[in-house]
Amino acid sequence: MIPEERVGIIGWGSYIPRWRLPLSEIVRTWGFNPKEPEELNVAEKSVAGIDEDAITMGWEAAVNALRRARIDPRKIGAVWFGTESKPYAVKPSATIIAEALGITPETMATDLEFACRAASEALRISIGAVASGLINYALVIGSDTAQANPGDVLEFTASSAATALITGPREESAAYFEASATFVTDTPDFWRRDHSRYPLHGEAFTGEPAYFKHIVGAVKLLMEKTGLKPEDFDYAIFHQPNGTFPLRVARMLGIPKEKVIPGLVTPFIGNSYNSSALIGLSRVLDKAKPGQRILLAPFGSGAGSDAYSIVVTDRITEKQELAPTVDDYIVRKTSIDYALYAKYRRLINRIR
Amino acid sequence: MMKISIPPSWRTRLDRYRLKASKCRDCGRVAYPASSICRFCGSRNIEYIELINEEARLITWTIIYSAMEGFEEKRPLMIGILETINSKARIMAPLTDVLPEELKPGILMEPVLRRISEDNEAGLIHYGISYRPVFKRVGV
Repeated sequence: MIPEERVGIIGWGSYIPRWRLPLSEIVRTWGFNPKEPEELNVAEKSVAGIDEDAITMGWEAAVNALRRARIDPRKIGAVWFGTESKPYAVKPSATIIAEALGITPETMATDLEFACRAASEALRISIGAVASGLINYALVIGSDTAQANPGDVLEFTASSAATALITGPREESAAYFEASATFVTDTPDFWRRDHSRYPLHGEAFTGEPAYFKHIVGAVKLLMEKTGLKPEDFDYAIFHQPNGTFPLRVARMLGIPKEKVIPGLVTPFIGNSYNSSALIGLSRVLDKAKPGQRILLAPFGSGAGSDAYSIVVTDRITEKQELAPTVDDYIVRKTSIDYALYAKYRRLINRIR
Repeated sequence: MMKISIPPSWRTRLDRYRLKASKCRDCGRVAYPASSICRFCGSRNIEYIELINEEARLITWTIIYSAMEGFEEKRPLMIGILETINSKARIMAPLTDVLPEELKPGILMEPVLRRISEDNEAGLIHYGISYRPVFKRVGV
């Protein structure tokens, strides 16, 4: 048995804020080509409210994951928080969430950074920690109030959402890991320097040498390792910086778009960075049936991708209704204008 | 700029994160915030419970347009008095994810962790519980 096969997902949950900014508001404010949102295949993006941040959203996703896991929070041996929008530059977000969920003090807890892939690195670490017997359960959270320079094309998609996964022994799981692989290189496609408020990116450079190369690299490694083929998967979920890249990378891998669309959330809420691929997994788990196989491939700039083969177990159905689904959050929405979005995301400079 | 002292903020974190309350073993009533003496019958025969997993009904509320320093960004600031469903504890807390015109007596609300205040851009962020309308009841 390879180590991954001892570990599964005991609980999953997501959170999307109520507020939505139609991308037409960004077009109107900054004078973009009105066709831009259509080309990105994104209609509107979710916006965290004035009292929300990556910690509060991560807490809410974790509450939903705990509802499905049905375990005593004190049994969780690690809280690993993946984000690139930490409310504190120095002071762990993970301890605040762990304390608020009743997990402290006997737990590991830390924040990880790898652009949009930090939570996925946390997921791989959690698989190792649970498989080794070091801990019984780990709470992995991907949460971002994604930043973008106002007026930059990135602003169309940078959104807010969170997803949490509780990993634990396979025999208690709703889905178990069959195998996983990681592909990383030093690629300067997107970055944010210390003390800089907004990230910069390499425009077209974010595509071929970054997103496509690393996801294809990780998925091919996984397939070589397992002997699995694209047709063996019922669903394929990729990092979703916009609504078109996941469909393009699927074509490159010979995966039909029908297997991608169920996990494609970005057209409804934008790119939630560390929650981007994981919220796709969350949406698929909300509906998946026992025996189905899921390909998951998050990506983070800088750059790297992980590929996972995940097999759904009989326990999935008893957990699906225990927390709000991703679709429940997608339809719970209220549109706001650019002014309110600017206030909520603190784009307006004022003396505080 | 407002500045909250670190020790009291730290000491009350479970009151704020988990809604730690006191339940009187004599008269059975629940008080929030927790108190070592029952505020209803004066008994010292107290146990501590958490209200974080309980929904609550909105009893009444106020909408503040002239918010105090540090809360200007949250205008209109909505503060409610709620009663938890099982423990019948009365809680005063901020209301969130709701528009003023959506507030009605008796609506079911649930506790959520939110940023309540912050000292200033470099200071501590104070997290705590706000209530928002339940949008989907789940089997917990």
